[in-house]
Amino acid sequence: MSTSDPQQQQMIREAMKSIAERRPGRTKLVYDKTKRTIVAVAEGAQAPRALNITADDADMFAALTLSTAWLRDHWDNLTRDGHTPLSLSSWDDGDALTHAALGVIPAASSATGCITLDPAFQLPQGTAIAIVLQPGDGEKPDAATFTCPDGTAYRTTAWRQDGNTRLPLDVCFADVQPELATRRSGILETTVLKDKTVVVIGLGTGGGHAAIELAKCGVGKFILIDRDRLSVGNVVRHPGGISQVGRFKVNVIRDLILEKNPDAKVSTHPVAVDYDNQGDIRELINQADVVVCGTDSRPSKLLVNQLCVEAGVVAVYGGAFRRAYGGQILRVRPKDSACHQCFVAAMPDKASDVEVSTAADAEGIAYSDQPVAIEPGLSLDVLPIANMVAKLALLELLADRDSSLNILKRDFAAPWYLWLNRPEPGTEYASWPPLSESIDEMTIHRWYGIELPRDEECSVCGNFLAALAENYGLNVDSLPNLPVSQGKDR
Amino acid sequence: MWSSEQRQRLAVEHQILQREGFDQFSVYHHPSGDTYSASGIASSSSGRRYHLYIPIPPQYPFQRPPLYVTDPDPLRLFNGSPVSSLGVSHAMHTLTPHGAGWPQICHWRDARWHSNILLQKVFLKAHIWLEAYEQHLATGRSLADFVPTMAETA
Repeated sequence: MSTSDPQQQQMIREAMKSIAERRPGRTKLVYDKTKRTIVAVAEGAQAPRALNITADDADMFAALTLSTAWLRDHWDNLTRDGHTPLSLSSWDDGDALTHAALGVIPAASSATGCITLDPAFQLPQGTAIAIVLQPGDGEKPDAATFTCPDGTAYRTTAWRQDGNTRLPLDVCFADVQPELATRRSGILETTVLKDKTVVVIGLGTGGGHAAIELAKCGVGKFILIDRDRLSVGNVVRHPGGISQVGRFKVNVIRDLILEKNPDAKVSTHPVAVDYDNQGDIRELINQADVVVCGTDSRPSKLLVNQLCVEAGVVAVYGGAFRRAYGGQILRVRPKDSACHQCFVAAMPDKASDVEVSTAADAEGIAYSDQPVAIEPGLSLDVLPIANMVAKLALLELLADRDSSLNILKRDFAAPWYLWLNRPEPGTEYASWPPLSESIDEMTIHRWYGIELPRDEECSVCGNFLAALAENYGLNVDSLPNLPVSQGKDR
Repeated sequence: MWSSEQRQRLAVEHQILQREGFDQFSVYHHPSGDTYSASGIASSSSGRRYHLYIPIPPQYPFQRPPLYVTDPDPLRLFNGSPVSSLGVSHAMHTLTPHGAGWPQICHWRDARWHSNILLQKVFLKAHIWLEAYEQHLATGRSLADFVPTMAETA
């Protein structure tokens, strides 16, 4: 058997194609230690003095990934000029080259490429990567095939020019949006969330994670509100990493959303959620289908609650307890379920158990002569709550749509949800039985949906004033005028 | 600037003060700037008198109203120094003083305030603070020794 043997050549060709496509074939390649060369043998054949060659062994070229959508958009330029420059992110010492047009977060190093229809094209000075498109000869399309707007299929070859040497690259075209939609389509109708708008207020660990999860589900529009910048201390919990420190959290999360859903429309608002900005916040909330509120301070939550009830927008409030020993979520359907003010008035202790994860949180509840320690919880303990926030928000977004997920409506009917990460000493949960021993009793690491009636006399969503007046025998329509003070305002 | 609900609420709250044994306090309208305040004289069990003043914030009742002691001026600690010199103090249950130097009593902090709470409750807490303050004057001990952290009830 020699390499000039046509049958052996055919088997080698088939085996290499199988390896290139990473699929099993009828033949496989081995290194024959006796012949000291590579040979093809039938799959399943015994080759005692041979080393099997796998797809990983054969994976010797760097991978070049190009954006199909970008090339379609630039096709006219390419056919007119004969070539078009493009930027590539260079990852892992050049092992992967990714078209910068595919995402928003670039690699630390980059490379310049040039795409052309002319195989004899001379690369301009300073351009490292050549990409050549040539009309195909009718063979089956593969990852390196590009179909231009007129329907012609082009085969693509690429190389890195190193002096006089050409180092081949494996080319793969990525058509991002259809590929992402395909991955979601098994459980979630892919287009139903494209036109939905989620306002996320508070882009800390919980809010940031929930926003990214909703982007993965295909939510198409985001409005992000948070005045904080990412600090070094945040990165052990926050989706943003150490290389993002100093950036506004809204911008960090925007980029991570676009990494998951490149077609999403994201607007960022690095402003405080307080009464000074309530006009702006109101305008943003009015655009929302759902509001996700991940702030830790009561004044900001109550302001968001007031504006959401006023606008008739569903809001999902998520928060961790101190040191994230657990957490709770309140979903508010205005005028239909208890609002956050109903919750605060009915359950003041529950509403006050919040995680103190930043200096600003601590300042909000501390006196200057008795500081409150910053006691953040683990990301691991915050994420179950963030996931549930995202799930509840998702169900609200799908509520008016035909979706298979709407079967969950009966399971998520309660407005208030409780989760415990551990039986924290000193709390009412300290005596809960171990998870492994309990079937019927409440334990950690289970979600509990809890009924919470709406307060018909709530000062935000109810008829507080009329009820108050009635309780004191007053008629709000015929109240005496207030005494007038013409003097100093005191 | 003020919504009709806000004006109505303040009118109701004034009536509640008058009817429920708090008629030493009133809610006032100041037509010149169209602002509101609540104020009056609180008498302690020892007979001392204190003038209390609440400028109604523009987002009331959603925003916490500050409560200042404007007379005696200055209000002094056991050691003779002004209470306002402490600034935000857990020991004396005070928050940021007014620009004019009046101490601000901590009735509810921002993190605990909500819009169901009435001015009547705020003045009641001020009375409790004044009793504790007089205990401080008599013993030199901090006010926190006499008033546990004011529980959140409304």
